[in-house]
Amino acid sequence: MLEVKSLSKSFDGFKAVNNANLDVRKGEIVAVIGPNGAGKTTLFNLITGILKPDSGTVHFRGENITGLPSYEICRKRISRSFQVVNIFPRLTVFENVQVSILSREKRTWNLFTPSSKLAVEETNRILESVGLVQKKDRTTALLSHGDRKVLEIAMALGGDPEFLILDEPTAGMAPEETVRCIDLVKHLSEKLGLTILFCEHDMEIVFGIADRIMVMVRGATVVQGSCDEVRCNEAVQDAYLGGSDVCLM
Amino acid sequence: MDLIYAILPPKVLAQIFVGLSRTTILFIVSSGLSLILGVLRIPNVAHGSLYMIGAFMAFTISKIFGGGDAGFWAALVGAPLGVALVSLAAERGLFQYLYEREHLMLLLLTFAVSLIFGDLVKIVWGAEYKSVPVPHVFQGYVYLFGGLPFPIYNLFLLIIGPIVAVALWLIVNKTKIGKISRAAAVDREMVGAVGINVSWVFAIVFVIGCLLAGLGGALVAPTVSVTLGMDHTLIIEAFLIVIIGGLGNIWGALLGALIFGLTQSLGILVWSQFGIVFPYAAVIVVLLFRPTGLLKSTW
Amino acid sequence: MLRDMLEGRGRIWWAAVVIFMFLLPFILPRFYLYLLSIILLTGLLATSLNLVLGYGGIFQFHHAVFYGAGAYGTALILTKTGLSPWISFIVGPLVSAALGLIMGWICIRLSKLYFAMLQISLGSLVWIIVYRWYSFTGGDDGIHGIPLPDILSSSNNAYYFTLVVTLICLFAMYKVIKSPFGSALQGIRDNPVRCEMIGINVKRHQLLALIIAGFFAGVAGSLFVVVDNTVFPDMLFWTLSLEICIMCLLGGWFTFLGPMLGAAIIIALRTFVSTYTTYWALVLGILMALVIFFLPNGVLGYIEEKIKKGFIEPVIKE
Repeated sequence: MLEVKSLSKSFDGFKAVNNANLDVRKGEIVAVIGPNGAGKTTLFNLITGILKPDSGTVHFRGENITGLPSYEICRKRISRSFQVVNIFPRLTVFENVQVSILSREKRTWNLFTPSSKLAVEETNRILESVGLVQKKDRTTALLSHGDRKVLEIAMALGGDPEFLILDEPTAGMAPEETVRCIDLVKHLSEKLGLTILFCEHDMEIVFGIADRIMVMVRGATVVQGSCDEVRCNEAVQDAYLGGSDVCLM
Repeated sequence: MDLIYAILPPKVLAQIFVGLSRTTILFIVSSGLSLILGVLRIPNVAHGSLYMIGAFMAFTISKIFGGGDAGFWAALVGAPLGVALVSLAAERGLFQYLYEREHLMLLLLTFAVSLIFGDLVKIVWGAEYKSVPVPHVFQGYVYLFGGLPFPIYNLFLLIIGPIVAVALWLIVNKTKIGKISRAAAVDREMVGAVGINVSWVFAIVFVIGCLLAGLGGALVAPTVSVTLGMDHTLIIEAFLIVIIGGLGNIWGALLGALIFGLTQSLGILVWSQFGIVFPYAAVIVVLLFRPTGLLKSTW
Repeated sequence: MLRDMLEGRGRIWWAAVVIFMFLLPFILPRFYLYLLSIILLTGLLATSLNLVLGYGGIFQFHHAVFYGAGAYGTALILTKTGLSPWISFIVGPLVSAALGLIMGWICIRLSKLYFAMLQISLGSLVWIIVYRWYSFTGGDDGIHGIPLPDILSSSNNAYYFTLVVTLICLFAMYKVIKSPFGSALQGIRDNPVRCEMIGINVKRHQLLALIIAGFFAGVAGSLFVVVDNTVFPDMLFWTLSLEICIMCLLGGWFTFLGPMLGAAIIIALRTFVSTYTTYWALVLGILMALVIFFLPNGVLGYIEEKIKKGFIEPVIKE
């Protein structure tokens, strides 16, 4: 479904992403792992059009989407959440998700219908599915960190995506929030049939929910394969564990 | 000689020199503004008021010394220092508390300060026009290229400009305070963490920048009538120069001032009524093709 | 009651305010009526700025240009052509909207401070043209004694006209802010990157906002012609632009009625202070500094904060 070929991007000579390759098939959950600074977030930014790659291509459902602006990539039904919480702090929880839906329905050019009457049902449904419905009238600045991360996902869902990119969805969450979040990701994959690409530091989570894993080190793809293949791959162990000979986990 | 005239008629050449003298003033004022913008990130609208205060102070100091040559030199030293004192008070009293706020707030605060300064000038010096005499040494004309009259004072300005540019470059690149301030511009907290009092570094940079505004005012005083409102168009021009040159880049300020000064003086030849339109049009053209300025900005 | 009014409920209270405003000509002497008209149209101008500044997060630092363009557009049609005066009231705002489109189209590629500076430079260009083009715009004298249709020549009727037009425009802008477009605009203010990622074309939305803001600023300019019968180049000068910013800030730039309140405070204060001293700028400067230090969300923002505190805390406790 998504195919990334020899993608590269450098900042002032520093190669943040250097020849990264990735393919994601429909319905899969694919994890990107790698040490801090391996270029995972940059890779996601390249895929979603926030950054323009220096070279390489990104194809989505066979269509070349390399270097398109974010809003057009989003219209191809790719949504993402961000590692650093990236929401609209002065709007309420409800409005955050609603804007996302209105945008997908191309209704943001509508100047006169009160938005309070639009997309109410769908917004409520999404908030319900992520468990934020009780807090919908709060300004997002008043939410806990965990709730904000979940709201990120809810906003991404507002775009009714087929392909969902989650950048460290559980980072900074309390343990019980993490469990809830993982359940949510599983639910999205199993019940709604979404294809999910995510990155995560917690190996337990990665091996628990990912179908396949891509390992990135210093901007480059080391290996992509099933959990077992990755777990015992020597190159991965070299890069990740400094050459120790135990399997991951 | 003939070759020069073949390419540039005397009228054009004369305007170029007029433009270059104007460039000097614009450069001195906008380099100070650029320094403050680059290091402190303050879009200081009050910079124009400080230029005006510099001119008024030059008037008073020159008068105290009897208006002669001594008065001029005393004013040239005293007025920038006086402006530096005023700016130090403003920085310690107001701006230092707002470095973390948004640009919008900072800009509006400096606008508030410029309104206050404007009225204070009115209270102290009154609303009448003032004039500062050109010192005897610089009175009269020299004849450039055999017969082109050019005021000696403007020639003096043309010499001052490069001196200020080099001095400023030395301060920013070769002194400790310059290095610290460049580092602080990039990462304030880090510089603070290694035990440097960033707040005072910023204060010093601010004062140096404002001193340049005062110097510009003192230098311009003998060539214009010193009056309220002389800051209004100058501050906009200075901002535009800084922007087209590249924020925080001193050579950019020089380049910007050159573009602004020359298009203005030559524009008058082309279309006298709307000569002033040309520099603004030049700014628009530059920003359309180089949105972040001609030279590398520090932002 | 105040809370109801601020949160868009309490229609009865608003109706009472409007009826009261309509009755004022029977009580107030002419001068105050003139003052009130100026407050209304300046408030409209500030509200139009706030549409892009407070709700759109765009650094529109030279909004006065659109005000002036609207005023000159109306004035020039009234004095130089034989067209119906009512056409001039439509042409003025349209000129401003067109200017908003042109300037916006050029500036929108830049953001924040660069946007502001390019806009100031373009605006100054417009100002200079108006200032120097004696034969067309009257240069620094401006245009005086602009002929108006008879029905608007009495100060009562000028007031009513201003009041009605201002109310309509405020209502329209309120609608825009509450519309999906308004939601998107506020999203762009809060987080442009995120907006792109939910599929919003940020630049185009901002451009439309600039055009709308320009249009309503032009309406305010046309109203000034009706109330004052003059236009002059200072209406396009950058100092006025920053004064309008101050009105938004003083009233509260995240509130809808804040700019109107800010305009009322500043104009009333200016009128009051000017009877005692010529140093109005000094007073304004000190007032602004105080607001920036102690009331960063403005008067109305502060009141809303107080109200919300008493309203939200119990919810969090449960």
